Amino acid sequence: MKWIDIKAGFRDFWDEFKRVRFGLFGLILLFIFILTVFINPYIVPFPEASSRWRDITYWEDNPVSAPPVWVNWFSSTKRAPSLILKEHDFSEEKMGKIKLARAVFEYEYPYDLPPLDVIFHGYAKGSPVIMLSIERPDGQIVELVRRPISKSDGKDVRVSIGKDSRIESYNFGVKYEKPESNRIEREMVKPTSILFSEAKEGILVHPAPLKGVYKLIIEIILPAENDAVEDIYFTFSGGVSGWLGTDSSKRDIWSGVVAGVKWALLIGLLTAFTAVSIGVIYGVISAYLGGWKDSLMQRIFELFIGVPLLPVLIVMSAIFKPNIWIMILMMSCFFWVGPVKTVRSMGLQIKEETYIEAARAFGASSSRIIFKHMIPLLIPYSFASMALYVPSAIVYEASISLLGLGDSTIVTWGQILHDALTGGAVINGLWWWVIPPGLFIALMGMTFAFIGFAMDKILHPKLRTR
Amino acid sequence: MSEPILKIENLKEWFPVRRTIAQLLKGEQIWVKAVDGITFDINQGEIFGLVGESGCGKTTTGKLLMKLLEPTDGKIMFKGKDVTHLEANKLKEYRRNVQMVFQDPYASMNPRFRAQDVLEEPLIIHQVGETRAEREKIVRRSLEEVRLIPPEEFMGRFPHMLSGGQRQRVATARTLVLSPSMIVADEPVSMIDLSTRAEILHMMKTVQRELGLTYLYITHDLSTARYFTDRIAVMYLGKIVELASADEVIDNALHPYTKALIAAVCEPVSGKSNTGRSYL
Amino acid sequence: MTDTDNVLKVENLKINFFTRKGTVYAVDDISFTLKKGETLGLVGESGCGKTTTVLGLMKMVPTPGEITGGRILIGGKDIVPLSEDEMRKKVRWGKASMVFQGAMNCLTPVYTIEKQMMETIQEHKQMEYFKAKNIIINYLNLVGLPEEIIRRYPHELSGGMKQRVVIATALFLEPKIVICDEPTTALDVVVQAQIINLIKRLKKKLGLSVIFITHDLATEAEVADRLLVMYAGKLAEIGTNEQIYGKGGPIHPYTKKLLKATPRLHEKVEELSFIPGTPPDLVDPPSGCRFHPRCSEVMERCKKDEPPLIKVEPEHWIACWRNHHE
Ligand SMILES: Nc1ncnc2c1ncn2[C@@H]1O[C@H](COP(=O)(O)OP(=O)(O)OP(=O)(O)O)[C@@H](O)[C@H]1O
Ligand SMILES: Nc1ncnc2c1ncn2[C@@H]1O[C@H](COP(=O)(O)OP(=O)(O)O)[C@@H](O)[C@H]1O
Ligand code: SF4
Ligand SMILES: [Mg+2]
Ligand SMILES: [Mg+2]
Repeated sequence: MKWIDIKAGFRDFWDEFKRVRFGLFGLILLFIFILTVFINPYIVPFPEASSRWRDITYWEDNPVSAPPVWVNWFSSTKRAPSLILKEHDFSEEKMGKIKLARAVFEYEYPYDLPPLDVIFHGYAKGSPVIMLSIERPDGQIVELVRRPISKSDGKDVRVSIGKDSRIESYNFGVKYEKPESNRIEREMVKPTSILFSEAKEGILVHPAPLKGVYKLIIEIILPAENDAVEDIYFTFSGGVSGWLGTDSSKRDIWSGVVAGVKWALLIGLLTAFTAVSIGVIYGVISAYLGGWKDSLMQRIFELFIGVPLLPVLIVMSAIFKPNIWIMILMMSCFFWVGPVKTVRSMGLQIKEETYIEAARAFGASSSRIIFKHMIPLLIPYSFASMALYVPSAIVYEASISLLGLGDSTIVTWGQILHDALTGGAVINGLWWWVIPPGLFIALMGMTFAFIGFAMDKILHPKLRTR
Repeated sequence: MSEPILKIENLKEWFPVRRTIAQLLKGEQIWVKAVDGITFDINQGEIFGLVGESGCGKTTTGKLLMKLLEPTDGKIMFKGKDVTHLEANKLKEYRRNVQMVFQDPYASMNPRFRAQDVLEEPLIIHQVGETRAEREKIVRRSLEEVRLIPPEEFMGRFPHMLSGGQRQRVATARTLVLSPSMIVADEPVSMIDLSTRAEILHMMKTVQRELGLTYLYITHDLSTARYFTDRIAVMYLGKIVELASADEVIDNALHPYTKALIAAVCEPVSGKSNTGRSYL
Repeated sequence: MTDTDNVLKVENLKINFFTRKGTVYAVDDISFTLKKGETLGLVGESGCGKTTTVLGLMKMVPTPGEITGGRILIGGKDIVPLSEDEMRKKVRWGKASMVFQGAMNCLTPVYTIEKQMMETIQEHKQMEYFKAKNIIINYLNLVGLPEEIIRRYPHELSGGMKQRVVIATALFLEPKIVICDEPTTALDVVVQAQIINLIKRLKKKLGLSVIFITHDLATEAEVADRLLVMYAGKLAEIGTNEQIYGKGGPIHPYTKKLLKATPRLHEKVEELSFIPGTPPDLVDPPSGCRFHPRCSEVMERCKKDEPPLIKVEPEHWIACWRNHHE
């Protein structure tokens, strides 16, 4: 087959494909999936989700089990969403050898429920002292944290208002309560809930939100010439977080699900490709050889067909703890039986074509006939059946992962589902943790099923008229 | 005409028929005797016709000679050597020498191969021609031999872009690239329009004379056989019932089957109609 | 000859295929009649429009083809304006039926003969099962096949038997016109002779009018009472069997060449003649006489003007400038 031939073939195929509405729909979905792989870093807040899924420090600033942000749209109490605040005014003052730096972050707060925590981040060199205070819309300034940093060549600084300013914020709030409310335990009140509430009685027990613009003020004393605090920003762990919420380990589910697209495509396509290639070659060889060799190959094939696939895969995964590549290989080892039967019967038909006999009459070897004359005819069918095996591969991987036997260095939809089930997502009603990965599995399956059916629909009349 | 290039002795090809359970138990085996003990010689440089109605075993004979089937019994001698059973490398060698034109020009070429690929295939298989350019030269020459001129115009075409006649020319050219000494032509013109039939036969005959080839021409059509062949063997139910020179067979047929075959041929002559021809 | 003797009358029929390459003028303005009880032969090289013409008569031209002009009168009634439904109920199979080209190779391999035939009957007429089965058996007997054949599958039949089944199928609803498109092509001579004899016999017995298509002039000599010679979508010559094959022989250069290319068993010739070249591409047919690029008697006029079909003697028409005497 020449390139022009293939090109013409594809053009004809495409002309017909365009007419199958659901096939086109599948193709659009596939395009979107592939696009998400490439633009992944631009559409998720945590682009390293795939490689650091199980690294708790990566997710530290997130809230635990927060619902998606769009829950606000349907709820009368608006919760503050998770946020990263980088924009600030910066000024510096020199007092002899000592520098005094000041950064002001403005935070707009129109919500009913405060963020769970507000965390300051910076990269400190030398031994600066960091002071953190907040200026509320009502003009009160609360000093929250004063943190001297031990000398170093550079290290990350993380100051959590929620943890590090319990006393200060309690003291601020308690002024407004009746004296008897002293009984309220300090540990029971969240600092953010005090800081973002109206300064009046009940601030500790029944806080009313104080809406408006807050200023988070960072003052840094830099004692030595080269001391500095760089890359400063705040993260807010909100009451709602990200497009799909977070799980009980604070992981952003949207980031995880999008990271899973790549793996689903890889697992699906690679497994389908390997399996169908093996199956097609096996089927054609069996058909071509015929006789006892064919019978033997068919018996072997039946042996594989008889294997209960899922249990075997589960047992093998439990024993070998495979990584994703081995898993793909394992699945291919069982999936190849799929196309064999059809291919064999098509092969038996093609084998009887006169041009096959002609090639034999010219002394062509079996391998030449199989690979040059027979398999090219089966390529369209192979593509169609590949599309149909993609969903199964994804579902099987998910099933294995669901049992916690997946590759733990990556994140797949099956693993997210597994974590959800073991993490009690269902019991606690964390629907945003369960539905998205399930939905994505279904959607990806549908994509390839649509494409596969469309191809099948186009190719089959042709196969019949051949 | 010199010594025979091909000698066939008592050649048989019996195909087993699938048995019913009862037959299986009784141990009976029923055979379809497609070729049932035929003997003939083909001389060097001769056109030998094998004529008979369909199903009488002509194609099977052709395939036996091509070694596409293993004979049940009998002997095939090619150029004085016994070629009845050959192992792989000898077989390949034999197939360089004996080539076949198939009956259906629409089916005998891979629809995905261009004419050039079709012709190049035997060269690649037999490792003739070191480079692509060298092979292309041979391909060009063969196309010219079958009067597809200029060759460039046809080399790039797929079978479906060729008319039936043109395809059969390409099929003939394919047999010529390896310079064989004998060609088995299985009904090469029966699927071709009458107006071009003569043209193809004429071309085949010219090639045969130019290259000194030997043909086995298989057909059910006595009228082309008469024009095309030197000798005719009439085959009936796997056996040869009459063998003589072409004119002899047609003008002085002896066997009743041959006579019936001759009677079945339509002639473009008025007045013969409505006389009610005999048929088998 | 009055119009009532003509079971079929075709006037100025035009059929075009609207393909991507351009319009194929497959049948271009042809007129002829089919008389009661006669066999009309239609000959020509492949691709000259024979199949398209008769598919037009059944109004079964495949897309992208269309009847673009003319009238087809069956029993005096024009069928061109009829709807598909009316055609199926009133005309197809009932009045005129067809043995399609290659139909014997298109029998569905997974159905028994009975099932295939039953389907055809029931597609065209409501009928209860046993009545239909009786008809099937009757007609199979009529074409010389034993009853037991209805349980067989197509691959268990020889080519000749399959062709008989197809012919029997065409006769079910007792049509008066039967069209046979190349029923003998690709069969061996012996079977060819059998089929020809069968068609002749059926014609006499059932009083059919037959259109018999082939590219083999020798076969036509055997069956046809009258002959239409077609070239590149047009009629070149119309004549009786005697006029074409008799002593006078054909007049049109194309028919002459075609006849010369037909091998004769009992004449030993050194060289068979043939018509060089191929029929033209009907997207862009040659100007003037369509045969002129291949004609050995070509004149200047042939290249410019199209020759009209004129009568040279009773029943004998030709379209050629050579024999055009004003
Ligand atoms: N798809 C195509 N592309 C280019 N040329 C073509 C194509 N199809 C046919 N031709 C050319 O058109 C001419 C007529 O071809 P066509 O197949 O119509 O012949 P035909 O009348 O069917 O022949 P035959 O009588 O042998 O069956 C030939 O020269 C052929 O090579
Ligand atoms: N389905 C089709 N689409 C386009 N062109 C067609 C189709 N069927 C036939 N033709 C063209 O119509 C012309 C006549 O064809 P056809 O009637 O089949 O010829 P014949 O029966 O004489 O061999 C040819 O040129 C052929 O290429
Ligand atoms: S009109 Fe001219 S070209 Fe056409 S057939 Fe007659 S002589 Fe030949
Ligand atoms: Mg044969
Ligand atoms: Mg036709």
